[in-house]
Formats: sequence, structure tokens, C-alpha cells
Amino acid sequence: MIEEKLEKILLNVQKPARYIGGEQGSVVKDPSKVSIRFAMCFPDLYEVGMSHLGMKILYSLKNEQSDVWCERVFAPDLDMEAEMRREGIPLYGLESLEPVRRFDFLGFTLQYEMCYPTILNMLDLAGIPVWAKDRGEAEPIIAAGGPCACNPEPIADFFDLFVLGEGEEVNLELIDLYRTKKREGWSRREFLLRAARIPGIYVPAFYEVAYGEDGCIRAVAPVVPEAAPVVTKRIIADLDKVYYPKNFVVPYMEIVHDRAMVEVLRGCIRGCRFCQAGFIYRPFREKEPDTLNENAHTLCRNTGYDEVSLTSLSTSDYSRLEALLEKMLPWSGEEKTNLSLPSLRVDGFSEELAEKIAQVRKSGLTFAPEAGTQRMRDVINKNLTEEEIFSTCRAAFAGGYTAVKLYFMMGQPTETDEDIEGIVQLAQRIVNLYYSMPERPKGKSVTVTCSVACFVPKPFTPFQFEAQDTVEELRRKQKHLLDTPHSKKIQLKYHDASTSVLEGVLARGDRRLAPVIYAAWRAGSKLDADDRYFDLARWEQAFAACGIDPAFYANRRREYGEVLPWDHLDFGVDKAFLIREDEKAHRDAVTLNCREGCSACGAQKLTGGNCLVRR
Amino acid sequence: MYDVRIFFSKTGRARYISHLDLNRCMQRALKRSGLPVVYTQGFNPHIRNTFALPLSLGYEGETETMDFRLEQELPLEEVARRLRESLPAELFVLRAAAPVMKPEKIRWGRYAIEARGEPQAVRRAAESLRDLLAQPELLVEKTTKKGGTRQIDIRPDLRLESMEEGEGSLRFTLLVTTGISRNINPSLLLDLLPGAGKEFSLRVRRTAVLTEELEPFC
Repeated sequence: MIEEKLEKILLNVQKPARYIGGEQGSVVKDPSKVSIRFAMCFPDLYEVGMSHLGMKILYSLKNEQSDVWCERVFAPDLDMEAEMRREGIPLYGLESLEPVRRFDFLGFTLQYEMCYPTILNMLDLAGIPVWAKDRGEAEPIIAAGGPCACNPEPIADFFDLFVLGEGEEVNLELIDLYRTKKREGWSRREFLLRAARIPGIYVPAFYEVAYGEDGCIRAVAPVVPEAAPVVTKRIIADLDKVYYPKNFVVPYMEIVHDRAMVEVLRGCIRGCRFCQAGFIYRPFREKEPDTLNENAHTLCRNTGYDEVSLTSLSTSDYSRLEALLEKMLPWSGEEKTNLSLPSLRVDGFSEELAEKIAQVRKSGLTFAPEAGTQRMRDVINKNLTEEEIFSTCRAAFAGGYTAVKLYFMMGQPTETDEDIEGIVQLAQRIVNLYYSMPERPKGKSVTVTCSVACFVPKPFTPFQFEAQDTVEELRRKQKHLLDTPHSKKIQLKYHDASTSVLEGVLARGDRRLAPVIYAAWRAGSKLDADDRYFDLARWEQAFAACGIDPAFYANRRREYGEVLPWDHLDFGVDKAFLIREDEKAHRDAVTLNCREGCSACGAQKLTGGNCLVRR
Repeated sequence: MYDVRIFFSKTGRARYISHLDLNRCMQRALKRSGLPVVYTQGFNPHIRNTFALPLSLGYEGETETMDFRLEQELPLEEVARRLRESLPAELFVLRAAAPVMKPEKIRWGRYAIEARGEPQAVRRAAESLRDLLAQPELLVEKTTKKGGTRQIDIRPDLRLESMEEGEGSLRFTLLVTTGISRNINPSLLLDLLPGAGKEFSLRVRRTAVLTEELEPFC
């Protein structure tokens, strides 16, 4: 049915391969032999969603259950959406080409806040009511997980439940409960009441939020006995025993990250104070080199990928990286497979390591000092000195690199114009370093690219209490950055500030934002992570129409005692620890990384009191 | 080193795979198959595979070909089987053989075309097709590689082999100039049919790739 209609429209749209499925490694089952249909939804385009490792893991994990068929669903691009609406094609699963409205579950992954309107659009395209309260017994359960689920409050009214933390175990527990629901004939509400008792499952409808006269939250309290006052995220204690896919769906079309991936570790030992990932994925856990080598080799053989990436928040913090590379280099060389190591920290990039990687392939050198001055790097706890940056660059230049890309952030707490100038000055000193080296690549010029993002305060970070810079202030700083004298060898890149401030509103928002998101979607907002489609005016009108002041969420400093919208969710790190860290930031004081010393962040309670960092 | 030519079909959903994507897909399939494929030399080695003729996005193909080299000789049935098992069903490896002809020998593509839809619109399309092919000259705009357009006469590039009309359906077989020196996309003709893609849908399938003497390319 849908397939016939698709035939009519697919040649009218860009990149039809996004919408047909049928790729190598995609799982097709007999619908009459499965009892639970699950749609893994990524609220963005195919090429973005297909790059996401978490989705690949959960897709394979669920499909290993013989009675479950998990399919992939992405947001159609605007041209395809118009064709679908015109032809009456509802949102469908890529494996079966059947409407997801008839599935049992839709599970969305929440990777960035700007995807929220896209979620509503996908539900609407599916023919499913967007508000949870409007959904009946026949409708699928609408669930979500991923990093933004650490503060799901702005979208709480659209979802039936959220999965907090790592999904490998809790997803299966939830599916198991759903089997019982079908067997026992439970109502939707009965199912959700029981789901709320599973650790890590948050059912927002079972909580009531009370607001004070100042507009702040007074309290968040459960309204049913099944709902716990605080819901704690799930983690996998032993990563060597956790499920890892032996195969990926290998797309036909080019996607953003088109390669095999293995997950080296979870969590981060660093504690950079702006970084949400650095806190919400704690505690730090590593996989054994043998496990990783096996994961990587199996995946490469089954997918035919010629590149495998060792992913994590900070792969150079992997304590046995050398041992792992020693295991991987022989077969990867033999089979003409490239190894890639993203997100290497400056201080982890030793000459020896660079040499090992260079055996395989040479690409650009990228790292993230995040701030231009030492004072600012101390404020954000990016424990990195200028000398460390220089020694890395020196090694890279000596090894033949001529392009360096640096990531920075502006708008972080206590920042002054001097810190902005510091970004350019640091880049200039790297340029000077290059020309001072007699062993630099002969006859070649150097390029230092500085990409300067706008800081967004995020929940569960020490900076969750901080005021975000206004759009005007960020634009002034961007201008100041460009006005700081710099050589042509330095390229300065930045991004429009209004998106960052909106992201800030949504990141630290509460349930009163749901009507705003709804109104913005109604006005046409979707695929907003893409600059081509983002329109600030739609959002401004939505805020005005709902009588919500975005500055209350973005630009207001929170008292340490204020009840934050996510305080009833526990991601391991204690609020007291985050307060200590914020106070230290204002004293320019740094905190040791987890290998150097424990700061009692609280996350070790998730593993029964044992911290797994090798010291 | 041993040259191998595989013959494969590209049907169903696989017709939405672009030529560039097909190339990448085949390289990965060759890698998955574990066949001892020859790689290019250099710092960033990749598999040396070539296609005699690209197939337009949206068209099905019954006998497409791809060439590559093996480090060692293997039974051709085994080569075909291993690659077949490494590909999705809609990219189906028919057989493997040692290449006989060079791609320069290709002169014609045979296309089976089916128009389906509103009966009146299909009837009009059939009339229009007859009219167009009755003309001594058929001037169409062709986009050049530089992005401009130029007028060309495609009448000598088209030979109607058969035509069959039914209620709401029109099937016809066309020989179209195909090859390295001159390559005509049947869409240049099909776009001239009024209502194409709107009042009726078109399904295009390349059923054979032929030489000047109408021998199958092998």
C-alpha cells in the first residue's frame, strides 16, 4: 500500500535512498511471527540519525528478541513531507513500510533540544495525537531516552514515559512488562503505573509541579504511590558483559558518520564544568582491549566498512589505548581498514601515539582548548596549559601536519573581553610556533581554524545555576572576536547566537514550555537543528503568544537553593557537588580529574559504592 | 591478476540507489565477501572496481555489469556466490565471467518502459509517442557537463522495437543509444510525453546492454 504510493513520489524528492530501507544489515521479520512492534525514532534526517551509535545498539538489541520487530524511523525532509501529506502517506517504518501508528511503541532518542518540534511533527505525520493525555488505548506508547531526557520537563506532556540513563537492560525490562500487559489485557494506565516501578523509568503524568509566586518551582511531587519521589538513572555496571551489535545497517547513501564504531568507555574523568556529557554519563567505566578488538573486528567483517572509529567522550583517557592499538593495527593494516580516533584531548596526544595512528592514515588535527586564556580554562576546569597545547602542536607540525582546528566556547561564566581576545592570541602563537620550527613541512603554509561556539548552561553541570549571555551580548562578543587583529592564517568561525539561547531555554526549561514548543511547531518549526530551516521569528511569536519570557529560563541566575525542574531526577552526581564546583569556578580554582583524585561527585553510588577509575 | 566481470540486476527498491551510492555499496560488499580483491596502491588504498555504464536513478536494470580484479584465480561460480551472499536481494548477482568485450563496444541499451495510470492520459501518451517517433528529427534540450544546455537531435538514437497498449497501461521497448562516446537517457524522450509522472507513472527497466550488432555485451 505505502510502497505503491511511494513509487509515485520518490523520484520527485531529493535523496530517495533515505526513505526506502532495504539496506544491508536491516532486519526484516515476518509480521505474523512477532507480537511487539517497536519504532526507533530519530527526530532528524536519515543521514544524521543513521550516524548515531546508541540507536544502532538498541536496534540490534531489540531485534535479537524473536517476538520483537524493531524498525527505524527518521524525520522526512521538507520536500518528502509535503509529498507524504499530499499523497496521504503516514509515517512508516523503514523495514516494513507499514504505518507506525499501528506499532506498540515509538521510542525517540533525544540528542539535542532543537529536535523537539520535529518530534511533534513526526507524531502528527504518524496520525498519533501529540499530547499524551489525548492518546487512547489503541495508540502506541510514546517513549524517549537519550541525554536530553535528563531534563525532559519541557516535553513531558507529549510523552508517556522516559528512560533515564543507559538503555540496554531497562529497554528489555520494559518490553517484558509490555508482554505481560498484552497477556493480562492491562489498560494503558495500568501499564504505565507498573512501568513507573521499574528503576530508571520516569512517567511524567504521575508527578505534579507546584509553582511559587516568583515563577520558580516550589515542589515536584508524585501523585500515585507507584511513582518514586526521585527517579534514578540506569547504568550498566560491567561494560565487558553488555550487549554490543555484531552488525550495523550499512546505508546506501552517505551519512554523517559512515563507519564502524566501537564504544571504548562510558563517562569521563575530566569534569569540564560546562560539559553535560561529562557529568550525566558518570561513573567512568572502560571496556577491556580484548572486548573492543573483538567488537571492532566483527563489525568490520560483517559491515564491510573500511574505517572503524574508537568512540567515547575522551578516547585518549582510555587507560589501555596502546594495548588496544597493538591488537588492532595488525588486522586493520592487513584488511586495509582505517582506524580513527575522534575527540582526542590535547594532553593525551603523545608523539608515540601520533606515530601509531600515522601508520594508518593522516587527517587534520583537531582539538578543543575551549577557552583562550589560562584563567578562563581554570574557570571551566579544562585542565590544560598553554605549554601542553604547544607541545601537541609541535609534535603534530613535526609530523607533517599543516592544519590545526581548535574548538572554543564564548559566553562562559566570568568571561571578559580579554578572554575573547585570548582566543585569537592563542591561535597567533600557534602560527608563530609553526614558523619558528625549522623542521616544519617545507614550503607549506599553516592554517589555524578557531571554531567558537556559544556556551549553553545545561542541567546536571556545575554551570546549571549560571545565567546565559543574552543574544545581544553574544553578538557583541562575536564582533569583538573578529575585530581583534589576526593574521590571514587564522580562520575564525562562529554560529548564530539566537539558536544557542533558544537551546538554553529548552535545556533548563520546565513544563510551562510545552505550549510554546507546540505553538512553534504549529507555526512551522521543524528540523530546527538545520540552519536552513530554523526561523527565530516563529519561536519569538510562540513565546509571546504563550506569555512566556525566555529570559526567565536562559538569562537568569538560579540560587543554589532553588528547586530546579530536574531535581526529582537523579543522574548520579550530587547537587552539593555541582554547587561546590560552581563556587570553585568563581574562584578560578581547578578540580583534579578522577585519576588524580576523587572529588566525591556521588556517581559511585550507582555502582554500589565502587568507583572504577584506575588510578 | 584476474579480471572478473559480474552481471547483476538492480530492481525494486534498489532502483533508488544512485550510481555513486551503488559504487560504495559494491565496494563494501566486495569487502564483506572476503574475496581476494585487488586494491589500488598508495597511502589510502581502495578497491579497483569499474562499471561499464551507469544506470540512472529510478531505473531498474536486468543485466548491469561491474568489473574488478582478483589476486588469485577462483572458480567463477564461487565468486558470484560469495558476492551474491554479501548483497541485499534487490542487487542480485546473476553470474561472474572473464570480461570478453571492452566497454567501448557498447552501442545500444534496450529499455522496457511501462506507463500506468489514468486510461485517457495513457492513451494520449501512446499517441504522443507515435507522433514523436514519426518525425524525421527530434530536437531536445540536453544539459551539458558545464551546466548549460544544448539542442540535440535524438531521433537517430531511438528505435522502437515493440509497443503494446492496454486499458490504463502502455508498454513499449526502445533501443536507445548507449555507450562511452554518446549516451542518451530515455528520459529525454519520456519527458516529452504529456502528463508523465503526474497523470501516469513510468517504470523504466534496462533489459539489455548491446553492441552495434545487437549482441549482448559480455
